[in-house]
Amino acid sequence: MLAAKLNRIYGYSGVIILLLLLIFPFTNDSRSMLILLTQVFIFGIFAMSYDLLLGYTGIVSFGHCLFFGIGAYSTGLVLNTFATSISMFFLGICLGFLLATVVSYIIGMLSLRLQSHFYAMLTLGFSELFLVIAEKWRSVTHGGDGFTFRAPAFLQDRLFVYFFALASMVMIFILLRLFTNSSIGKVLRAISQNEARVQALGFTVLHYKVIASIVAGIIASYSGALYAITLRFVDPSVFSIEMTLDALLMTMIGGVGTLIGPILGSGVVEFLQHYLSQLGSQFPIFERWTLFLGLLYIVVILGFPKGIVGMFQELSKRDVKESKNYRKSA
Amino acid sequence: MNAILNLLINGLSTGLLIFLLASGLTLIFGLMSVLNFAHGGFFVWGAFVWVWLFSATGNFFISVVGAIGIGMLIGFIFEKTLIRPVYGNHIRQLLVTLGGMLVLVELIRMIWGSNPIRAGLPVWLDGSIQLGGVVLIKYRLFVILVGLIIYGLIMLLLKKTKIGMIIRAGVDNREMVQALGINIKAVFSMVFILGAGIAALGGTLLAPYSGIIFADMGLQYAILAFIVVIIGGLGSVRGAALASIIVGLAGAFTAFYYPDLSLAVNMLLLIFVLLLRPKGLFGEKG
Repeated sequence: MLAAKLNRIYGYSGVIILLLLLIFPFTNDSRSMLILLTQVFIFGIFAMSYDLLLGYTGIVSFGHCLFFGIGAYSTGLVLNTFATSISMFFLGICLGFLLATVVSYIIGMLSLRLQSHFYAMLTLGFSELFLVIAEKWRSVTHGGDGFTFRAPAFLQDRLFVYFFALASMVMIFILLRLFTNSSIGKVLRAISQNEARVQALGFTVLHYKVIASIVAGIIASYSGALYAITLRFVDPSVFSIEMTLDALLMTMIGGVGTLIGPILGSGVVEFLQHYLSQLGSQFPIFERWTLFLGLLYIVVILGFPKGIVGMFQELSKRDVKESKNYRKSA
Repeated sequence: MNAILNLLINGLSTGLLIFLLASGLTLIFGLMSVLNFAHGGFFVWGAFVWVWLFSATGNFFISVVGAIGIGMLIGFIFEKTLIRPVYGNHIRQLLVTLGGMLVLVELIRMIWGSNPIRAGLPVWLDGSIQLGGVVLIKYRLFVILVGLIIYGLIMLLLKKTKIGMIIRAGVDNREMVQALGINIKAVFSMVFILGAGIAALGGTLLAPYSGIIFADMGLQYAILAFIVVIIGGLGSVRGAALASIIVGLAGAFTAFYYPDLSLAVNMLLLIFVLLLRPKGLFGEKG
């Protein structure tokens, strides 16, 4: 009873926050806040795709930036080399999807039949390889300096990009919710809990894992495309390990296996980064905010492995227990 | 001939540097199936402490010993605080060691700044020697020598001592060793600290080798070490040694003859091994 009530409260607060986010741009002129929130949405998508791997399937990836970067580069390159139009924007996104599918299929088939660390290492290796390619293949990628490109007219308006990112995030949240509750999603969750048993039940675990890896890759590449569009600039830093760490941090802090957790985590991490780097101008120690995020991350893994959302879930469970005891004693 | 000989020496010395990193990694994995993503952190700490001590004291050996000591100390703290609490949980181990790596690298940036630092070289190791018309760089020969000595020492430890016997037995079957009343966790702590020390030694040797050190270098070498550990077979020191030399030589020769391919050659090697023999050259566990 109480749990249902609490769930309803969480649901309502989610809707209220969504409404607040919808009217926010009309009540506040702050341009930097608008950009920051757009960033939160984009990284929310990225972190959700990571959560599909880590939280739902139990796959650890240390090179998830690979797909983010693929999306960013394909969109940027298509818009830069061909005309700047909506159709080219969609072509760029589709190219990103295609590349992400191929790469994640290859990596998945190679490493997902082995123990978990093989996937982690192979993705890390591939992301480093792509980073080097982006830096050295100058004729196409413009090397380490990156390149700017013109976004289609309708995506030049910051306000429109804000709503576009928000709508994308909500859509992908709903789609992933449906996906994780589908029969495939249930198999994935079973794999994360007991892989051997799922195999014994006659499921080909490898195929399901590869599917999860491909879906996560495609969604990450979409977030990369959005990222490129907001900056109208791409450089090799999209392939850097910091991107992967961001996704990992957001997912862990928000709560693995919850989908809403990564979005919350994205908000927490982005705002922390923003304010810590501001503090850095006054107190030099905060210039190394990555250190604080790293320490926070370790504390979360060791102390609160379920993240913020997990803590709330524990809380509501405990409340339910207490109320049951209360009723018994009454 | 001259070029080939020099490439051979380049490849061997790079390979043995990677081996120093990979040997600890492979033993730690074989014994406790902990894959330590922070191993490159010990390596880069070794390099920075060495440069710092060497510029302060000017004594090569004191600096090396100091760097190894600091590496082992970090390994000790690391094992106690981060790895102990997550024994047996692969996913959390992977995640926590990556966080540890992040913190180690950031601490380096905080202490020594984020710009690359130049590393010096003691006079007696500087320069080159002539050998029958072939010019050989002294320091590279020195690295090969040290690498081979360390390999010999590890093999001696593993094959000839009681503790080595326990380690080998632990790699084979951890539960059995535990059932015989041996505190495998204490042995593991020791191996972890030893591995951190060897990685730090690798870092100290690398610093004068590349001339310039920077905080991100740990990750670059750690990736190479992971590739080597997979190719050699997780848990096998012999495999790691052979794979290090293969990776070192392949890197040196392709960089000279096909520079464009050199970026991809390690990944191609890795993919090749994963396709044909996922447990590696000498591996038991797949």
